[in-house]
Amino acid sequence: MLRESVRVGVRRAAPWALAATTIALAFASADAEAARIKGSVVGYQNLLNPVWEESKDPDRHAYSFREPVPTVRGEFRRLFPHIPKELCIAAFAAEKQPVQKPILIRVGGGRTTPVTIVVTPGTELQFQNTDPFPHRLYAVGVGTFTASDTVKGGVRSWSVPAAGTYEVRDEAAPSLRMWIVGDPTLAGIAYPSMKGEFALGVEGDGDYRVQAFFAGKKVGPEIPVKVKGDVDLAKTPIKVADPPKGEKAN
Amino acid sequence: MLLSRFWYVILGLVTGALVFVLYISMSMYNRQVSRAMAEGLSSDSQVVSWYLKNDARERSAHLISFTLEASIPKGLADASATEGKLTDKIRQSVQEGLTKVAAKIPKDQAFDAVFAVDQHGRVVAHLGYEQASGMEDFELGGYPVVADALHGFVRDDTLVLDRLYRVVARPVEYDLGSLPAGAIVGARIIDDRFARDLSTRTGAAVAFYAGGQRVASGAPEGFDRSQLDMIVNDIKAVEADPDYKTKGRSAVRVINAALSVVYGRLPGEAWDLGAGFVVGRNAIPVANPLAFFAAADDKDKSGAKIPIVVGIAILAMGLGLLFSFIEYTKPLSLFRDEAHRLAKGQIDQLQPSKFRGLYRTIASDLNDGIDVAAGKGGGTRRAADLSQVLGDLPAEPQMSAFSFPGDTGASPKPKPSVPKSVPNAPLPSAPRATAPSGDDGVVSSVGDATQKERRLPAPPPRVGGPPSPSSPSGSGDDAQIAEWKAVYEEFAATKQQCGESLDGFTFEKFQNTLKKNRDAIVERHGVKRVKFSVYVKDGKAALKASPIKD
Repeated sequence: MLRESVRVGVRRAAPWALAATTIALAFASADAEAARIKGSVVGYQNLLNPVWEESKDPDRHAYSFREPVPTVRGEFRRLFPHIPKELCIAAFAAEKQPVQKPILIRVGGGRTTPVTIVVTPGTELQFQNTDPFPHRLYAVGVGTFTASDTVKGGVRSWSVPAAGTYEVRDEAAPSLRMWIVGDPTLAGIAYPSMKGEFALGVEGDGDYRVQAFFAGKKVGPEIPVKVKGDVDLAKTPIKVADPPKGEKAN
Repeated sequence: MLLSRFWYVILGLVTGALVFVLYISMSMYNRQVSRAMAEGLSSDSQVVSWYLKNDARERSAHLISFTLEASIPKGLADASATEGKLTDKIRQSVQEGLTKVAAKIPKDQAFDAVFAVDQHGRVVAHLGYEQASGMEDFELGGYPVVADALHGFVRDDTLVLDRLYRVVARPVEYDLGSLPAGAIVGARIIDDRFARDLSTRTGAAVAFYAGGQRVASGAPEGFDRSQLDMIVNDIKAVEADPDYKTKGRSAVRVINAALSVVYGRLPGEAWDLGAGFVVGRNAIPVANPLAFFAAADDKDKSGAKIPIVVGIAILAMGLGLLFSFIEYTKPLSLFRDEAHRLAKGQIDQLQPSKFRGLYRTIASDLNDGIDVAAGKGGGTRRAADLSQVLGDLPAEPQMSAFSFPGDTGASPKPKPSVPKSVPNAPLPSAPRATAPSGDDGVVSSVGDATQKERRLPAPPPRVGGPPSPSSPSGSGDDAQIAEWKAVYEEFAATKQQCGESLDGFTFEKFQNTLKKNRDAIVERHGVKRVKFSVYVKDGKAALKASPIKD
């Protein structure tokens, strides 16, 4: 089963210090063998968080002053994403996969954890408010997920209705944006560490496609993987973004 | 008269002009108030914006102290390197650092809450945000202000969380060659205390609102800040203001007759959430000219040039009184004095040349009247005409009924009754005898000029005859008869002079007629006696009766 393989994959990736603890909890089950696909992503520093990027635009009136601290090196003054939450590595099988068990999404700190997730359609997402004040989540253009209060510690559930990309926002926190990608062939997901290393589990051997998602969109190339036992892609890291040409660090 | 009349005209014109000026002043005042208020509100709004920005900058400078406290960068670096659960040791270390530094910040610059955030966005330690106590997974990394700090920027934001917060954040560096170890975030709650501080420093009446509700307000002395509660009903409407939507500042909005406001949006996430601030000012327009008195305070009143006002008032009153004295009091007094002298006989007539205007005309007319009276023989005031007093009497007792056989022309036709229009008319009081000497005391009327000319200069010779026996009592009747005898003689003489016949005209008949008339008059008017006098009417002798009360 998909959930089992993902869970095992997360467990076996412990030495890799994966950041998908939350996801692992959601996929909790311990009765299946799975193959692991280990790998890494590079170039993620060239990705830009769209919410933060928008926020730095003076026309957005998001601040009255914003100044760089000169002692911080320019290469770090790019609003690259926190990839353990924002960059989702997904493996797709050749055939449709069953619906996953409910997945817990944490809502707090101005964002969701994870920020981007890929699930099979019909999967129930459970949004838990971890902030000490209410949130009002809604999915953009989705009639089954309209804005309503989720109090402190409260959980709100919503099932992904079909394949496609969905954006979740919060009426109480404009900076909160989450992307959900529904794909029926999803075999497993993982989130990289701060260093870009990941390990995802899939159920059994076979042909898979590995794809990175960021802000609801595919980033980097799709990597075909023939799984026969554990697979290590570390020698061919997935390049998720190229450095911008002529762009200065801001 | 001209002076005083002109003075009234001038006073009217001046009063009208003053009212006109007052209305113009009122309009100008209201316009100026409106303009000044708009400028003042715009200025207040700018000042509040600058204050918020400057306050954020000053507070962000205090964040440097946290980044220099060794335990904080070290603790955050350790936390960032830990992707699993944070150890209590790390949290404790950072917490102590926060507490130590926060204690050194001046109270007026202190934060309500401080957060130390690692590269994962987790809050490693915090001060002053009790809502998150015990929440180990509490984080702030998704907020742009924190993300910016984690990527090397210092900036501010306004967050609408459980309350409204002004937030500043800056990176915390541990190894200068690597990504910042974390960020330090300081938050100040926008509450009444914050608003009061702001109001004290800027002089503006300000309120903050979020979620359609006022969340804080502060106002200088003399401004009732509860007035700012009224913005709640206007917040929805102001969101349609194009300036408010695009520039973040509304035009002047009139909440009520006394309160106008300008809205400003708060920078940061609050901008998109409809949170902002509003500055208000009281402007009391003058509804009518008299309202200036109500609107003016003691300072305004002390600014008025009272001596000039009093001087003008006294001058106006003085001129009015002077003109009145010159044109009314003085001529009237002179006329009164002259009339008094005339009454006393000190002068025979008034001298019109002494008087002016209408008094001169009156004096001249009086003189003419006196001349006419003197021309009539200087008689006293005319006695009441018997026919005017009594109305027409029955044919037989009527005075003019002295028609004897052959004297038909002198006798008017008898009338059957007395007209009701005058039966109870009061009789004039008995006139005082001021007639010239030679008059027998019987009141006589002053006739017109033609009558005067026909008046006999001397009484006719008396016609003898016995006294009337009809007199009821002794000496009184004798006097009455003697008096009537004299009247008879005068009447007969007058008849003769008028060319009338005296045939059959005896004293007895005359006496009987007088008696009947006397009795009728006495009964009718309740007088004690009646005097008869002779005069010429229409060229014939006639009698007049004068009722005498005493």
